[in-house]
Amino acid sequence: MTMTLTYAAMSARATFRNARFVLFTVALPLALYLLFNGLYGGRGDEAGITVGAYLMVSMAAYGGIGAAINAGARIAVERQTGWNRQLRLSALTPRGYMAAKSAVSLLVALPAILLVFLAGALVGHVRMPLHLWLGGGLAVWLSLIPFAVVGLVIGFVATVDSTQSLTVLVYMAMAVLGGLWIPVEQLSPFLQHLARAVPSYWTAQIARDVLAGVALPLRGIGVLLAWTVVLAALGAVAYRRSGRKA
Amino acid sequence: MPTRDRVAAVAAGPRGRAAAAAVELTGLHKNWGSVQAVRGVDVIIAPGEVVAVLGPNGAGKSTTIDMLLGLTAPDAGTVRLFGEAPGIAVREGRVGAMLQSGALLPDVTVRELVATFAALHRHPLPVAEALRRAGIADIAGQRTTKLSGGQAQRVRFALALVPDPELLVLDEPTVAMDVEVRRSFWSSMRELVADGRTVLFATHYLEEADDFADRVLVLAGGRVVADGTGAQIKAAVSGRTVSAVIPDVEGSRSSLSALPGVLRVEQVGPRVLLHCSDSDAALRALLAAEPRAHDIEVSAGDLEDAFLALTARTVADADAAHHLTADPASAPSTRSSR
Repeated sequence: MTMTLTYAAMSARATFRNARFVLFTVALPLALYLLFNGLYGGRGDEAGITVGAYLMVSMAAYGGIGAAINAGARIAVERQTGWNRQLRLSALTPRGYMAAKSAVSLLVALPAILLVFLAGALVGHVRMPLHLWLGGGLAVWLSLIPFAVVGLVIGFVATVDSTQSLTVLVYMAMAVLGGLWIPVEQLSPFLQHLARAVPSYWTAQIARDVLAGVALPLRGIGVLLAWTVVLAALGAVAYRRSGRKA
Repeated sequence: MPTRDRVAAVAAGPRGRAAAAAVELTGLHKNWGSVQAVRGVDVIIAPGEVVAVLGPNGAGKSTTIDMLLGLTAPDAGTVRLFGEAPGIAVREGRVGAMLQSGALLPDVTVRELVATFAALHRHPLPVAEALRRAGIADIAGQRTTKLSGGQAQRVRFALALVPDPELLVLDEPTVAMDVEVRRSFWSSMRELVADGRTVLFATHYLEEADDFADRVLVLAGGRVVADGTGAQIKAAVSGRTVSAVIPDVEGSRSSLSALPGVLRVEQVGPRVLLHCSDSDAALRALLAAEPRAHDIEVSAGDLEDAFLALTARTVADADAAHHLTADPASAPSTRSSR
C-alpha cells in the first residue's frame, strides 16, 4: 500500500511537471464549454437543470475523460524507455502499479473538471448550493475510473507511435456515443440505446442526476463497474506482457 | 572439451545442491516467431560466483537474462533463483538488475528516480549509499534526459544496487562507457562483490569476462557452447590464424578452405590467412597440400575468430546429428564458412 502511494505520488509529480501536457488537458474542454455556452446557454432547461449546467457537466466529463485517457497512454512512453522492465524488478505488484497509475490519471483529470466548473459559475450563470457543486464534481470525477483504466490498457498495448491515434479514436468515440457533444436526446433511437451501454454517457448522466436531485441510476453505476472490471482484467494481462522489450 | 563435462556434472548433481543454487536454469527454450533465440540452456550458479556470459549479438544473452529475471516467460524449461521463482526472488529484493537499454524515466532527476525505485523495495539500500556506490552522487540533481551514455549506465547500476541484492545481474553494463569509465566501473564492482554477492553479467568482451569473472559461459546460437574459467575459455577458443605466402594460390583457395581445422580463408596481399578452429591440424595439412608455402606464421586470433570457432563447432555437431538421422550415406558437414 505504501509502495503504491509512493509510486503514485512520484508519478503524479512527474506528470504535472510536464506543463504542456497539463495545459493540453484543460484547454480544449474549457474552450468548448465557452463556445457551446455562448451558442446555447440562453435556452431554458434541459433534463431538469439549466443548459449552462448541462453543458458544464458534459464538458467537465469530456475534459476529464480526455485527461484520464491521455495520462494513462503516457505509459507507452515509459514502456519505450524500458522503465516498465525496471519496475518489474521491484516489489511493486502489478495490482499496485495499476492502482497507482489509475490514481495519477484521476489526479490529472481534476484540473479540467475544476476549471470547467469554475467557468460554469463565472460565465455559465450556474447557481446552486455548495453541496451540489461538490456532489456533481465528485460524481464526474469518480465516474472517470473506467477511463483511467482505458488509458492504462492503451498505454500497455500501443507503441509510442500508435498511442496518439488510438487515444484520439477512443476519446472521440466516447465523446460522441456518450452524448457529450450532442445531447443523447437528439440522437437516433439506435444511438440513444447504444449510449446507455457506453461509460461516458453515465459519467455525465450520473452528475446531472446529482444536480437535478434525482436518485442515482443503478444501471449507470453497473455499466461503469462492468467496464472497469473488464478493462482492469485486460490491463493485468497487458501489464504482464509489458516486461518484454517495447 | 573438459569444460562441457563440468556443466554436465553440475547439472546432474544432487537435488540438495541445486536447491541452494543462486541461479538454476533448466532446459530453457525461447522462440521469437520463427527465430530460435534460446535453444536449451542449462546453467547452475552457486552463491558467490562471479559469472560472465560471453557471446556475440544474437547469441541469446539478453533473452536468457530476461527469462532469468522473470521478464519473459520461457517456452520451455524452468528458472529458479535461490530455489524460488524469479518473481518471488525479485519481490523479496534478492535480485538487482541493470538492464541493457533505457530504464530511465523522463521528467525526473537522478535522485528522484533512485529514491522512487528504493521506495518500491522492502529493505533498500539508503539512496545516498546507492548513489555513492554507483559513483553518481555528483549528478544526483540532474534530469535523467540530460545524461551522457556512461552516466546513464551508472544510474542504471545504482538502480541495480538499490535492493541491496544477493544476486546482481548486469546486461552488458559497460556498453556505452569509454575506457576510463569502464575501468572505474569494474573497480567499484570489485569492491561490491568482495562481500560475497553473486554476479552474472553479459558482455561482448572476452578481456572483461576474463578480468572480472571467476567463470565464463560462452553463448552462441542460443546454447552454452563453453563453460570454464577465463583462461580455459581463452585456450578453448584460441581460434588461431595460420598465415603463409603460397605461390600461385589463386586456383587452390577453395581446396584450402576444405583443409581440416580451417574455418575461413582470406587473402591479404601476398599472404593467405587461414582462420582455424584447430591450427595444428590445419598447419600439418597445409604443408602436405602446399609444399611451397613459406614465411609461415601462427598467431592467436581475435574474439571474432573465437566465436566463429565455437559457433562453427556447435553447428557442426548439430549438422552431424542431423545427417546421421536424415541421411546416413551423406558425409556430415564439419565446417561452416561463415
